[in-house]
Amino acid sequence: MSLLEISQLTLDLPGGKRLLHGIDLSVEPGRTVGLVGESGSGKSLTARTALGLFPERAVLGGSVRVDGVEVLGLAGPALRALRRRDVAMVFQDPRAGINPVRTLGDHLTEALRLGEGVSGEAARKRAMELMEAVRLPRPEKHFHQYPHELSGGQLQRIMIAGALMGNPRLLVCDEPTTALDVTTQAEIVRLLATLRDERGMGMLFITHDLGLAGALCDDVVVLAGGRVQERGDMAAVLAAPAAEYTRRLVAATPSLHLDDAPVVSLPDAGRLAGAGGRHEAGPATGGAAAGEAPDGAASAEATAGTRAGDDAVVPAEPAVPSAPAAGATAGTGAGDDAVVPLLRVDGVSRTYAVRGKDPVTAVADASFAIPRGAALGVVGESGSGKSTLARMVVGLETPDRGTITVAGKDRTGTPRGREERLAHARSVQMVFQDPYLSLDPRIPVHRAVRDAAALHAEGRDPAKVATELLDRVGLTVEQQAARPRTLSGGQRQRVAMARALAVQPELLVMDEATSALDVSVQAQVLELVTQLRAERGLTVLFISHDLGVVRRVCDETLVLRRGEIVEAGPTAALLDHPAHEYTRLLLDSVPRPDAGWRLAG
Amino acid sequence: MTAPVISNVPEPSSVEPTAHRPAPRVRWRTPRWMRGTVLVWIAAVVLVAAVLAAVFAPWLAPNDPDRIDLMNQYASPSAAHWFGTDSLGRDLLSRMMHGARTALLGPLLVVIGSTILGMLLGLLAAWRGGWVDAVLARLFDLLFAFPALLLAILAVALFGKGLVAPVIAMAIAYAPIVARLTRQLVLAEKQRAYVSAYRVQGFGGGWIALNRVLPNVTPVVGAQSTLNFGYVLAELAGLSFLGLGVQAPQSDWGSMINEAQVGLLSGHYLPAIIPAVAVVLVVVAVNILGEEFAERIGGNKA
Repeated sequence: MSLLEISQLTLDLPGGKRLLHGIDLSVEPGRTVGLVGESGSGKSLTARTALGLFPERAVLGGSVRVDGVEVLGLAGPALRALRRRDVAMVFQDPRAGINPVRTLGDHLTEALRLGEGVSGEAARKRAMELMEAVRLPRPEKHFHQYPHELSGGQLQRIMIAGALMGNPRLLVCDEPTTALDVTTQAEIVRLLATLRDERGMGMLFITHDLGLAGALCDDVVVLAGGRVQERGDMAAVLAAPAAEYTRRLVAATPSLHLDDAPVVSLPDAGRLAGAGGRHEAGPATGGAAAGEAPDGAASAEATAGTRAGDDAVVPAEPAVPSAPAAGATAGTGAGDDAVVPLLRVDGVSRTYAVRGKDPVTAVADASFAIPRGAALGVVGESGSGKSTLARMVVGLETPDRGTITVAGKDRTGTPRGREERLAHARSVQMVFQDPYLSLDPRIPVHRAVRDAAALHAEGRDPAKVATELLDRVGLTVEQQAARPRTLSGGQRQRVAMARALAVQPELLVMDEATSALDVSVQAQVLELVTQLRAERGLTVLFISHDLGVVRRVCDETLVLRRGEIVEAGPTAALLDHPAHEYTRLLLDSVPRPDAGWRLAG
Repeated sequence: MTAPVISNVPEPSSVEPTAHRPAPRVRWRTPRWMRGTVLVWIAAVVLVAAVLAAVFAPWLAPNDPDRIDLMNQYASPSAAHWFGTDSLGRDLLSRMMHGARTALLGPLLVVIGSTILGMLLGLLAAWRGGWVDAVLARLFDLLFAFPALLLAILAVALFGKGLVAPVIAMAIAYAPIVARLTRQLVLAEKQRAYVSAYRVQGFGGGWIALNRVLPNVTPVVGAQSTLNFGYVLAELAGLSFLGLGVQAPQSDWGSMINEAQVGLLSGHYLPAIIPAVAVVLVVVAVNILGEEFAERIGGNKA
């Protein structure tokens, strides 16, 4: 008998809208099942039914059995007992899931003390054990600490310990690492794998990242639109995805293609050759994978050429992918601008004063340059200063020291006065991280782009410019007239790009511009960036935490850690032969099937 | 009819028949079970009726509101006088309709005035920050310390009786409420990336604040401001009840209640109850509608 057996699960909202269309899924003890899908696929809805959690007044059909006991229809004490003893859940954002005014000890022991009537001392002892089990350094101290005193990663460990307090046999993890940095993510995922092995728990792991699922899970269920698209052995699905949707997902997931050549939108067949090759090699070491990379890339490109024609999965013209790379290289080396780089950042520092604490150095003595037409990637974790760097380049912040020049003109600091403001804007534009916040909710998108164009008209007709640009980024006439609210994340980010381009900037800064998007949408936006670079000779400063994304877009990359540039160089060389230990750590933290995290226990 | 002097204030206010206490900072909350469309529709009908009666009073009113008919004191409701007459034999219905004009106009002006003033001050405080914010915050605190009614009485004492002085005083007294809300909303809005995006595009700070951020907070602020309408109406009625607002012979709900005090003792309740009920009805109706607006707009935002 399976630990969790979901069969023919349907979920209808009170309005009659069906969100889940007959999901089948089972989890065996000691195994991890990955539930993979993009936003709105119903993956969280499905997993939460295992704990009897679902939207108010939703109508459920089918059956959800935990250890043979039907969960649907369970209520009151029986449901609470299920949640206390059998199934536990780890949520996405640990900070949102914990009461900030209670100590961590309270949080951990509460359920045992109040629910099971365990004495305070015994509960405390158990909490200590579990805090050690989740590898927290100082359980005695943490017990009396408050949530704000811990980092996100530490807090997620606490949440995991809390989930384990009732000794559950099934652990449901809902994107438990999405809010964390990549290196922390790697640690947490290794920890989860170990705990599962030690306790023989079953685990249902929800994620949008196929690479992450590949790094941790034994089996996978791919969900889209509330339907199961594909299921099976994790490695087998990654190696040879049967469903078209899965194929697209595999192709769009950057972390799976870290060793491929930096080309956008490679046809699926090529991708799979690379992925399969790696996988057969087993849990390869970093060196072996790197050595293998040129082969994989070469074969990928070869296949791309031959297979692109008959592969309907790829929407864009097959000629596009190779063009930008060539264009970029040409731009880098070509002509008079090679001497004066478009962007030159020289010894720039920025320190923030923190009340009652030592000042924080966000960026320390950063110097680099981007040739006209090139794309530079800036990689780093949160707190590495990459966003501060971006904000200084676009003039939202003033550096403490150092200079920033764009096309030979000084663009250091926030511009003063109308002339300077407009000139700065024409040098640099920016696409922000969260497209849900970076567009004015009240202004229809066409007008937003038109306003930007009108401010920098220079004889152009703003309305025409706006229409052309929005057409170019692929928005329909209705979408152009709409307000941002009605658009999806990807569409909004396209609008943001059109708006930036309306100013006709020389340099485009993209600050984590795709990290809020689903992988397939991210792939489309990245492709658009590459196309626009080729068409307009745009220079791009691309800031990201995702090495796979940088690999796709950037010719050169620099790695930032705590405000310092630790390594810089051509992207391919940097990723294949990282010189600095931090770069290696980042690379090792990229979730992929051969990361060997599953074997951690 | 005697206009009570200030020292009498506690006494008449204890007889004040409206359910509304003059402490406006305590917000009325409609119970959950009463919320819903039916109640909202009833509130809308009440308010529209009051507004129509006020606007078209000269044409709709059956009688001259100021015509004294001493032969007809305290007449009971009849075909000629639907609500009966008051101590001077004046037609209550006509007085109510004419009284609605001042009763509704005053609060409307106060709400408009306080909203404009408060939004601009709140925007200024949030956008400029620093010492501007600090100075304005203290100013708001100072104004908050005075009850609006007291400020209005002060204005009357300085500038004389009538509608103008209390309306201006109340607009100033209510401005900090709007300003604080605006300040809070603008501070949150300022953090959003779209403001940075405008800056990066080269738009100036003042332009962004007035043309983009202010309109984005207006719906929420506006909905909250309509809630003030009810409180102001009750307070202005209280003011004219004290004899400090609209002056005789012009009719006003508050002063009608005041005038009817004498009759109460001799058992003539109607002249006091009708305007009192009208005040309560309109205040509750405005609150229901205001909450509905606030909720809908809040829901859209989230």
